Amino acid sequence: MARGDAGFVEFARAASARLVHAAFLMTGDHHQAEDAAQTALVRTYASWSRIHDDDAYGYARRTLVNHLVDGWRRPMREYPTAEVPEQRRPDVADDVATRRWLISILRALSPRERAIVVLRYYFDLPEAQVARELSVSVGTVKSTSSRALEKLRSAAPRSADEEARR
Amino acid sequence: MNELERLRHAMRATERPDAVLDLDTVLREGRRLRTRRRVAGAGAATLAAGLATVVVVVAVGASGPTGRPPPAAVAPPAVGVSPMAEESLDLTPPPTMAGDVLSPKPLGQLVDSGVRHGVDRRVYYFVGVSVPGEPGVSIGLAAGRQAPDGSLTTDMLVNTVEGSDRSAGFHEIGYDESSSAAPAPTFGYFVGPATRIIGTVDGRQVDARLARWSSDKQVVIFWFDPGQLTPGERLDGIIARDGSGRRL
Repeated sequence: MARGDAGFVEFARAASARLVHAAFLMTGDHHQAEDAAQTALVRTYASWSRIHDDDAYGYARRTLVNHLVDGWRRPMREYPTAEVPEQRRPDVADDVATRRWLISILRALSPRERAIVVLRYYFDLPEAQVARELSVSVGTVKSTSSRALEKLRSAAPRSADEEARR
Repeated sequence: MNELERLRHAMRATERPDAVLDLDTVLREGRRLRTRRRVAGAGAATLAAGLATVVVVVAVGASGPTGRPPPAAVAPPAVGVSPMAEESLDLTPPPTMAGDVLSPKPLGQLVDSGVRHGVDRRVYYFVGVSVPGEPGVSIGLAAGRQAPDGSLTTDMLVNTVEGSDRSAGFHEIGYDESSSAAPAPTFGYFVGPATRIIGTVDGRQVDARLARWSSDKQVVIFWFDPGQLTPGERLDGIIARDGSGRRL
């Protein structure tokens, strides 16, 4: 394995879980999320000689988000909300409830809103950077973010009620 | 805990640290993609040859006085796919590309779209192209980025591959479907006295921004504000109107 390859493998091992999870938050589908993360890493590796000293994680994240956004421009736009996966930790009930709550509120958002929510609140990027990465204005990020949070607030009580009925 | 805090917590708490990807496949596919980029860069000049319909040509190299690093974000052909460009490419090919790629020289003045990618300006310009057996095709419209030092990076190039590149009406429309961090706003050109160009997407009308080509005032370069039409999103229709509102 070339020296650059070793560096990339180390990077990929460290970044995979977060990229997959971000993709899952944006798609609601584990298989699609793994495919998207893998695509992002393939493209990152293809450009590795140029970027590995730079912000490789940022490059992979941007590639992932753009790849998913490209996918949403195609006809299939639903949020499949995959099954709740098995949990290995002891607090299974809490994890399952949290995941259900998360899925239910993300399902209420449009693809663009989910992308903005994930970039803003999962990756903790500032609004200006979210705007750059999605090639939209800061105003669009602010307004979409605000709209998304409104939806979350309105969706949350219903979700809590649903949980209570389970 | 308010809703936002709960959301942040939930997004982090549901991470699966054991998520494992097949890194052997990643490395193998990454090498293939890298090879395709090299081939596409070296062969883009002749990519249009032999295709029977409109293509979006894979971008070629950088040009400019400062010898800026090689090209960025390219898009795949819309149709008439060449085997060299079967996949969406993104961002800059490896530095080894520098000696292989062409340097398309702008014909006439650059058109500044007003769109910025960091410090770079999104610009459009015509470049010379040659399509064997098609003497009526000599120009293609490029989307590129101009750095503050004046150097130019070509991202996409669209050109006619059959007939005349100056025939009246719409010509190719460039959709940037790459995964670039700086996608080119949808663009194209129209030949005729258009003063307004309107695209339709999802039942919504979007006005394009227009600029006449400095070398031929019959040629109208147009592009769509990325805030109104997401780069890569396909238009359902497009029309041009003259100064009196007549459809051309």
